[in-house]
Amino acid sequence: MIQARQLMLRYPTGKTALSGVTLSIPKGRFVYLTGESGAGKSSLLRCLYGGARPTSGQLTVQDLDMRLAQEHQVRKLRRNIGVIFQNHRLLFSRTVFENVALPLRVQGWKPERLVARARKVLEFVGLEDRLWSFPEALSGGEQQRVAIARAMSTHPPLILADEPTGNLDIGTARRIMDYLMELNQQGSTVIMATHDLQLMETHPGDLLCLHAGALAETLQHMPPAIHDHDDGHEYVTGEGI
Amino acid sequence: MSQANERSTPRLPGGFSLPPFGVHQWLALAIVCVALWALGLLWLGMQAGSQWMGTWQHDLRFHAYMEGGNQTKLKHLADQLALLPGVSSARVVPHQEMASWLHDWLGSGAVDEDELLRSLPGTVEITPGSETGEFLYSDIADEVRRLGATLNSGEMHLVQVQRWLANIERLLWFVTLILVLAMAIIISNTLRMILLARADEVQLMRLLGANEWFVRMPFILEGMLLGSGAGVLAWFLLWPLILGAASWFAALDVSLNGFILLAPMVFGGGMAGGLGAWVATMRLPNESTATT
Repeated sequence: MIQARQLMLRYPTGKTALSGVTLSIPKGRFVYLTGESGAGKSSLLRCLYGGARPTSGQLTVQDLDMRLAQEHQVRKLRRNIGVIFQNHRLLFSRTVFENVALPLRVQGWKPERLVARARKVLEFVGLEDRLWSFPEALSGGEQQRVAIARAMSTHPPLILADEPTGNLDIGTARRIMDYLMELNQQGSTVIMATHDLQLMETHPGDLLCLHAGALAETLQHMPPAIHDHDDGHEYVTGEGI
Repeated sequence: MSQANERSTPRLPGGFSLPPFGVHQWLALAIVCVALWALGLLWLGMQAGSQWMGTWQHDLRFHAYMEGGNQTKLKHLADQLALLPGVSSARVVPHQEMASWLHDWLGSGAVDEDELLRSLPGTVEITPGSETGEFLYSDIADEVRRLGATLNSGEMHLVQVQRWLANIERLLWFVTLILVLAMAIIISNTLRMILLARADEVQLMRLLGANEWFVRMPFILEGMLLGSGAGVLAWFLLWPLILGAASWFAALDVSLNGFILLAPMVFGGGMAGGLGAWVATMRLPNESTATT
């Protein structure tokens, strides 16, 4: 699903956000991306959905070389990625339905199918009765659930979540994690940037730890007894500093 | 906030709501409406002028006068004038016809008509053809002068008015072009402000993989709707003037047709709006601003 080799990202301001990141994330995994603020979590996610182009190294997402990809290829890739942004980026002048239906409209779904699909994904996050509400009328947790509904509306094979539980209380955060876990169990690969490692206790997953733009640690979630790579499964790998 | 107290907006078919219509849009609508109204007024004036000229031109005859000219000379003058391209016919006005006209004109006044009639010059009536060239009138004047006659100067002034109207029409097209560009700029600026207000939406659409036209089209449609809406409004605002001045124009044998302006004002406004929106959306917020 995702391969990076000596990935480097430097912004025009001169700041190096990622430096020499090498990793491999197979399909169907649930990956926590963690590290201190400014470690490069959001930058890595941005590279994964084409919001920033790598300065050097190699990055392949769903078989697309992100350094060499043309704009139309990146646009096509984005339609196969569900992104839950930091601060969820909901459109407050639009209804919940319009927010959730936006990726479907981008993909050219017929208008008559939109309401049914939006209702279905909102049902998944328990907000089917808020279809015609505006986001301002929802609580923080509900807004985050709308963001999840929007990200999953097209049933993408890859979901990127940038600190989706950042400003939520523990109970709401766990519920959000339940939804993400369920999406993962339905087959989507989920990569989630977070500071909150306690979530791993209740919602286990692989861990990629970034430090100062480089990969510091890689942990695979699996029982210790089967902690070898000859069991036929693919696991997250990475090279630390 | 309870669901009952939530704000609601009218929904379009398919569940979508109309984009917010704020003070910027109202302002642009008003300005473009005034500009279109002024244009409509100018073209109505042009229509009135053309109609007024048209009614005159319908009966337009030129008269050449020859003092002391005998019938042979007058006949020669008429024949020469009839040969000019653009002249339909030229004839010597018979003595009886002049007498009848003089009688009608003077009424039953105690004037010696015979004496007056004797003092009138010989007259040749020239009827222009339906298609008159640019130089017809100067050609007639030259020919008349060459043969020792004079042309009725009042009638020549009408020709001058007609030329002015033609020049005014050209000027009006230029003014229309300038005003359409000004309207496009106004709508463009309005949409730039709307774009700034909705930058999040634009960026989000791009991050979801929308292509360029998917992002631009709602704004271009909004610009076209603003322009067309202003056109409809301006058209309605022309009617009080058309109806108010109807009796005055009727006295001039002019009947203004306001309906003929509807399509140009609506489509013209829409085109100006579309052009403005197209310019405004040429440089949409890009991904780097969306993600940093």
